[in-house]
Amino acid sequence: MPKPLHDNICDEILFTSLFEKHAKNLHNFLHYKFGEQLNPKDKVQEAFIKLWQNCGKIPSNKAKSFLFTTANNLMLNEAAHQKVVLKHQQIKPKHYTNESPDFVMEEQEYLQKLEKAIANLTEAQRTAFLLNRVEGKRFKEIAELLDISVKAVEKRIYGALKKLREDIKEL
Amino acid sequence: MKREDLIQKWLDHNLTSDELEAFKQLEDYDDLVKLSNGMQHFKAPEYNTSEALNNVMQHINTSKQPPQKKWLSIAMSIAAVFVISFGIYFFTINQDTLVNTQLAEKTTIELPDASSVALNSLSEITFNTHKWNKKRTVDLKGEAFFKVEKGSSFNVNTVYGTVTVYGTQFNVKQRENYFEVICYEGLVGVTYKGKETKLHAGESFLLLNGKLIEKEKELKTQPSWLNNESYFKSMPYKEVIAEFERQYDVNFHVINLDSSQLFTGSFTHNNIENALKSITLPLHLTYKKTDNTITLKRE
Repeated sequence: MPKPLHDNICDEILFTSLFEKHAKNLHNFLHYKFGEQLNPKDKVQEAFIKLWQNCGKIPSNKAKSFLFTTANNLMLNEAAHQKVVLKHQQIKPKHYTNESPDFVMEEQEYLQKLEKAIANLTEAQRTAFLLNRVEGKRFKEIAELLDISVKAVEKRIYGALKKLREDIKEL
Repeated sequence: MKREDLIQKWLDHNLTSDELEAFKQLEDYDDLVKLSNGMQHFKAPEYNTSEALNNVMQHINTSKQPPQKKWLSIAMSIAAVFVISFGIYFFTINQDTLVNTQLAEKTTIELPDASSVALNSLSEITFNTHKWNKKRTVDLKGEAFFKVEKGSSFNVNTVYGTVTVYGTQFNVKQRENYFEVICYEGLVGVTYKGKETKLHAGESFLLLNGKLIEKEKELKTQPSWLNNESYFKSMPYKEVIAEFERQYDVNFHVINLDSSQLFTGSFTHNNIENALKSITLPLHLTYKKTDNTITLKRE
């Protein structure tokens, strides 16, 4: 195993660069996994503060997994497995603005179906699929983020897609 | 290329332009794109990294730098250990060792220099182990027999006077209005009211009701109470009764009796019936025992 460049991260510049690198990903990960109601922003902050408090013990190459594990645990402590419902946003993207009322109606119905279908996905499927579709991340990036293999990411995302389509058809 | 592979590649944002064309020809292309576009509505709220970073840095800076904090707390705990252990050390060094005996109890203790002390009933001895090398001093209330090892001067403080010795065996008895020192071996000095009396082996010093009383030479090698017997020679009877009370944990009730009359004799500490007979028969007294009270009556 290569020796990490820094054996601790008790340095504000290094810490700041770590924050810039991981904070957004961590936030999105928490959001897609646990939903909005548990306040992923606060958890990100807490996780980074914990990282700073333990900075002497954590080499820079371990920081990412420390952050993800810590934030994940913080979330789990708070919510004893309540069902996650990701609410779709009411503000529509621009290219829908001039559509007919029929279309808007249909669109709304479709989104409601989608919302329910997403809620029925497993936690792992949902996290991976949303990171892929919404954040536009490639399989490899997701695999790195979640510390799993690319193959596993592929499986989760494809499985999620299949399940969503089935559920939407049924609804 | 198979349909499934195309979808996989599309998912991975990895279609070549040829493949993209092929993908568009798939019958469920519209469906997939619709789903994919629909997903955009579930985007996580915008995360403002720099603002969040500011929050975190603020939080960190208000709660001090962790490494320094760690050093400070380690230093503090080391300091605390020192303070506490010095505290305990000074506390114990000034703490006197106290040994006492209850009614009907005797005990023998060893002093720090291997001198030994036998404590008679209802007596108390106090000494300081830590200062023993500098000063061999004990405080005594009651009666005790000392076997003192050779060394610097050895003092026994009592309320009536101080006994000073240099390697010897002697008995000190200090009771109410009663102070007696008997030297069994070596040389003992008794300081009473600022005046020192030297006692050689067999000599004794007796102070009764504030009066010095001459006694003849002691022939025994150690006090009789060490053999569980109290011996009296021309002693006021009330002293005998007081000693009896101490040895057997009883109370005497005396009727029609002059307790200052002198008594010579002894009683054992092991058998209360025999002991009672020993102290009553010579004076023609009768006794009646109920619970812990003994009534003495002249015939």
